[in-house]
Amino acid sequence: MPSFETTSFGKLSYERDSALDFPCGLPGFEDRRLFLILNFEDSKPLLFLQSLEDPRLCFITLPILAVDPQYHLRVSSEDLARLDLPRERQPLIGRDVLCLTILSLQESGPTANLLAPVVVNIANLKATQIIVPESDYSHQHALLPQETAVCS
Amino acid sequence: MLMMSRREGETILIGDEIEIVIAHVGRSRVKVGIRAPREMPVIAQEVKLVRDQNLAAAAPSPSALSGLIARLQPVAKTRP
Repeated sequence: MPSFETTSFGKLSYERDSALDFPCGLPGFEDRRLFLILNFEDSKPLLFLQSLEDPRLCFITLPILAVDPQYHLRVSSEDLARLDLPRERQPLIGRDVLCLTILSLQESGPTANLLAPVVVNIANLKATQIIVPESDYSHQHALLPQETAVCS
Repeated sequence: MLMMSRREGETILIGDEIEIVIAHVGRSRVKVGIRAPREMPVIAQEVKLVRDQNLAAAAPSPSALSGLIARLQPVAKTRP
């Protein structure tokens, strides 16, 4: 079983066929192709997307339906082809694909990128970060209700 | 901002090296062809937004992460 030393989680052992393959990387990390999805009991429901090529590169994600149960996934025909998914219909989250949203920890509070979710073909673990075409989803969706100042 | 009206098939030139062709005008979308020097990156604005967001999201500090976990757990527990 191969293993990989990571900055956030120490040494990870993993099955070779459990790695996600991003054939085009992710925007900003175009040459990073292989990632593992990690979850831990004490950080549920977070899922970590850890690069197998850069020990420091790790995205914090959530299943997109945990952020927005009504999330409407639309995948362009180019992205469907990239993921080896049938082009005649849109994929179903949970049945055909995993759909994760990448979180950013901003000073004003954590945000989720709903404009550009990570979509993984469950059948072959091919993955890509899509940009949902013609959508009103934000790339900085506030994850927690904005904390309002309390006046005393 | 300079505004120009163009019809399908017409071209706009920027300097000597950049050519923008209005290839197709649909009901709600326009297809644009761009010819530019190879070293000049051409990307949709959303791609830049996503790239900048990814760079900000990558490799968060452990303290920010543990803070997030602590704040998320009450939210998570309310969901079945």
